[in-house]
Amino acid sequence: MLRLAIVMLALAVPASTVPAQEKFENSPDARVLGDFKARVEKYEQLRKKADDSAPPLKESKDAAKIKDAQQGLAERIGAARVGVKQGVIFTPEIATVFRRLLRPEAKEKETKQALQEDKPEVASFKVNGPYPDKEPVTTMTPNVLQALPALPKDIEYRFIRKNLILRDARANLIIDYMTNAIP
Amino acid sequence: MSRLIVAFFLLMAGGSAPMAQQAAPPKPAQPAAQKPADKQPAPPKEAGSLKFAIIGDSGTGSSAQYAVAKQLIEARSRFPYEFVLMMGDNLYSGSGEKDYRKKFEEPYKPILDAGIKFYAALGNHDNSNERMYKQFNMNGERFYTFKPKPGVRIFALDSNYMDRTQIEWLEKELSASGSDWKVMFFHHPLYSSGETHGSDDKLREQLEPLFLKHGVDVVFAGHEHFYERLKPQKGIYYFISGGAGKLRKGDISKTELTAKAYDTGYHFMLIELAKNSVNFETINQDGKVIDSGALPRFSDADKKKMATSTPTIGPR
Repeated sequence: MLRLAIVMLALAVPASTVPAQEKFENSPDARVLGDFKARVEKYEQLRKKADDSAPPLKESKDAAKIKDAQQGLAERIGAARVGVKQGVIFTPEIATVFRRLLRPEAKEKETKQALQEDKPEVASFKVNGPYPDKEPVTTMTPNVLQALPALPKDIEYRFIRKNLILRDARANLIIDYMTNAIP
Repeated sequence: MSRLIVAFFLLMAGGSAPMAQQAAPPKPAQPAAQKPADKQPAPPKEAGSLKFAIIGDSGTGSSAQYAVAKQLIEARSRFPYEFVLMMGDNLYSGSGEKDYRKKFEEPYKPILDAGIKFYAALGNHDNSNERMYKQFNMNGERFYTFKPKPGVRIFALDSNYMDRTQIEWLEKELSASGSDWKVMFFHHPLYSSGETHGSDDKLREQLEPLFLKHGVDVVFAGHEHFYERLKPQKGIYYFISGGAGKLRKGDISKTELTAKAYDTGYHFMLIELAKNSVNFETINQDGKVIDSGALPRFSDADKKKMATSTPTIGPR
């Protein structure tokens, strides 16, 4: 009886109230998404080391210090990731799952419109390269963010055209990207 | 005594808008402050009230930004605002030292020197490390809250990236905010009559239920390069103020949302949170008042009634 009550209670919880992380941990893609999480965590550890090895990016009244700290961090991360190529985090297997997760959201008219608004005009970009500083960032709609696994602080998803970018917001650096993420 | 009061209001109106009677509180769910702009009273400087200014989409470094900044600086002598809220797009096209200087420090120098604090929200043209810039008072965070005086709580959100972390934080902070005035500011408008962008439906789906649940009073946004005062939506006042440095002329397609629209010049806003009303004045780059009024604070009971009423939603 108690079991039945628990099952009924679980069924009564709307999908939207299921904690985001739990949703992914219990999905058929759990193994692949777990791999994604592990790769992101590995990057996070690398950044922490880079962050600890020099004056950190912190609040300042001096804009030059902020820029210098950002660039210094990007350089140290870049040096620690020499030779890293596209796909280091978005492996083909992970990219396939991400495309599937994004498809229903990207099909929605409002989402499509929002992702295309103010899109950065960038001819080229690369892993370990800077996210274009003079261009706007694509606004990530809440439904798109909820469709994807959560990220640690200061690591974020962005789009450049149809490419899904994994961006380090502190270093303003492209960590990795996947092509044709949305139709 | 009455002459003194008349003189006071004339001073407040900056000589550019005829003095008028304060708008009577509207009935719940009715558009407030519907009188023409030139018939509106200026913010009345009620004793003990909170006064602040609003600039949005300011960071171009253009002569227009400087013209608006000049008016903002001048306005302080007659309306002593305590701080300025920035709606995002604080620095267009770069975030180097020169950008901070030309697009922020120089145009607003006199008020910065006077100790006036600026509180920024991030726009889609901002580098997220602007949160590290002390003069934006973001405490190194994309989203934050502060209490400028007892009874008022202000929330800055990052509408470019409304992830679950931010939503959970907002829910927690709103729950703890009690009966304070609750003022939100962020970049993307939930309601808008703009042709280029329009209402951000997806963001509204996320935020509006929280705003209604916790009794948010006023919401300020930018992104659209014009001024729009919207009819109250479900008991919440919405303003778009995104023309302190950018202008998209003729972009407003007046809809049933619009209470007042202005897209032919640059502007900024002066806000006064009085005990029971939000008083506002919107001023263009020439110092002309283009909109003003006093909007009554809705009671919790009225808000509850209006929260379930049919929203006025314009086309995107």
